[in-house]
Amino acid sequence: MPRSARELTGYFFIAPTLIFLALVIALPLISTVKLSFEELEFRSRSTTFVGLANYAELLGDRLFWRSLWNSFLFALGSTVGHLVVGICFALLLQGGWASAALRNFARGLLILPWLFSLAAAALIWGLLYQATGPINHLLVASGLFGRPIDFLGNPDLALWSLVLINVWKAYPFYMVMILGGLQAIPGDLYEAARIDGAGAWQRFRYVTLPLLRPIIVATTALDMITTFTTFDLVKIMTNGGPMRSTQTLTFYIWQVGLRDVNFGYGAAMSVAMLLILGVATLLYLRVVSRGIDAGAGAEI
Amino acid sequence: MPAPARKYSQPPEPGRLLRLAAVAAALVLVLFPILWMVFASMRPTLETLSDPPVWLPRDVTFAAYGKLLADPTQLRYFFNTYLIALATAGLSVLLGSLSAYGFSRFRIAGARYILLGLLGVQLLPNVALVLPFFNMAQALGIHNTYLALIVADTSFALPIAAWLLKGFFDSIPVALEDAAMLDGCTRLQSLRYVVLPLALPGLIGTAVFAFLWAWNEFLFAVVLTAGPEAAPLTIRMSQFFSQYGRDWNGIMALNVVASIPLLVAFVWLQRWVVEGMTAGAVK
Repeated sequence: MPRSARELTGYFFIAPTLIFLALVIALPLISTVKLSFEELEFRSRSTTFVGLANYAELLGDRLFWRSLWNSFLFALGSTVGHLVVGICFALLLQGGWASAALRNFARGLLILPWLFSLAAAALIWGLLYQATGPINHLLVASGLFGRPIDFLGNPDLALWSLVLINVWKAYPFYMVMILGGLQAIPGDLYEAARIDGAGAWQRFRYVTLPLLRPIIVATTALDMITTFTTFDLVKIMTNGGPMRSTQTLTFYIWQVGLRDVNFGYGAAMSVAMLLILGVATLLYLRVVSRGIDAGAGAEI
Repeated sequence: MPAPARKYSQPPEPGRLLRLAAVAAALVLVLFPILWMVFASMRPTLETLSDPPVWLPRDVTFAAYGKLLADPTQLRYFFNTYLIALATAGLSVLLGSLSAYGFSRFRIAGARYILLGLLGVQLLPNVALVLPFFNMAQALGIHNTYLALIVADTSFALPIAAWLLKGFFDSIPVALEDAAMLDGCTRLQSLRYVVLPLALPGLIGTAVFAFLWAWNEFLFAVVLTAGPEAAPLTIRMSQFFSQYGRDWNGIMALNVVASIPLLVAFVWLQRWVVEGMTAGAVK
């Protein structure tokens, strides 16, 4: 086949995907940006250009900043929780503590929460968090607390109660990634460290952790970006309450843009979110891009 | 893990017992919520909410399952979810394998940036798209239809599918295809009869990913549906908290039945995805 024809054939293969994504991703994105400069007159269904008015409103909107902060706290709490639990469980599963079959079985069971939707997790934890539920029973019976904790009704606690659900649901992703990383660390390194007199903690700190760094960096970056946009748990369990303590940015955008049909302002906040996450995404892609150069596969 | 490494990481006996105890504790913590869901699905709500808790079901009944399977409205949510998730998986794998083949076998100008762009799409905040999605769906008259949700879900599942499949196609030797094309196969035939069969585990794994994504998706469903005609299970689940007189028994039966495809996916994750992913991570 002549070279030019060969090259054209490649474009035919990728065209359907690119056209599809142009229509359902690129076009809507442009539309969001356009909406953010407009105001929708609901009765006449006409739009007027208002310039940067929506963005000016955003800067002075305390609820916007509050939501941004809540999203940040949720992302930070979730990511730290995922990382700590993921590393601990991966280290637990690592090594020859039992037969391979038993280890695989334990690993499989520890992955289970990852499969549930956040909606399903919301139902499960909604029941666990009940005043008469098992968690409160144990807390009160142990004498740590005098009376049941109102996990979702206490404004100081509600966001962290949602974080806990998210940690339970999504730590397996870290566990699996870190297990993969651990298996790639040559045993000789531990042997050398042991001969040099390194204890268990020192071996973890100076051998394991540095070698896991690339995986940890990529995974946490990805996680920060995705958990920052959290919506499901908030919409389902708390509706942003109590006293807006769990109102994340995505929830606020949904509330303003779709529930209250204030398209222009909702779009302006969406663009703000795009810009914030865009920076984070570019940083992440740079890390992955280096991986491509080094011949590594997709790090999802 | 290579054999010599095991010798050194093998902990001494007391350490091993400690490790077993720690693993058992981890399993209890992680699995208890799931177990509590299953228990709640097979006993009356009164027993589920009793104070102090009844740890093991006493008054076992499967009436909630019977009620669920006899309720056409509830079953409609299941049907909707299966249809949307299967269509999303099918569409993602179809378009994804075409583009993955293109990226894997041809020189494409700016391929690197297109691929990174695809990865970037996966990280876009979904909420930045929902206002136009809502407008477009209204304008096209497909709001509250399967089509709207399938297209929306595919928009996010497709880029991941393309990435995953490219990895699989890359690992299949080009020489096999050269032989087929010498025998007169066209490019499409070569993809269909040489590459796809060899990449079958990858295709299924990718389909499972897309299926799970659509099965668990919520935000697009909130925005693009209005009623049980096309709404998936996540919508049905989300309505539970705003109901009076919460029937925990009934909703947990629904939750358990809704988890069945997840368990099937889980078997695949065990067999393939976990190995595939970890292999990708350490390459």
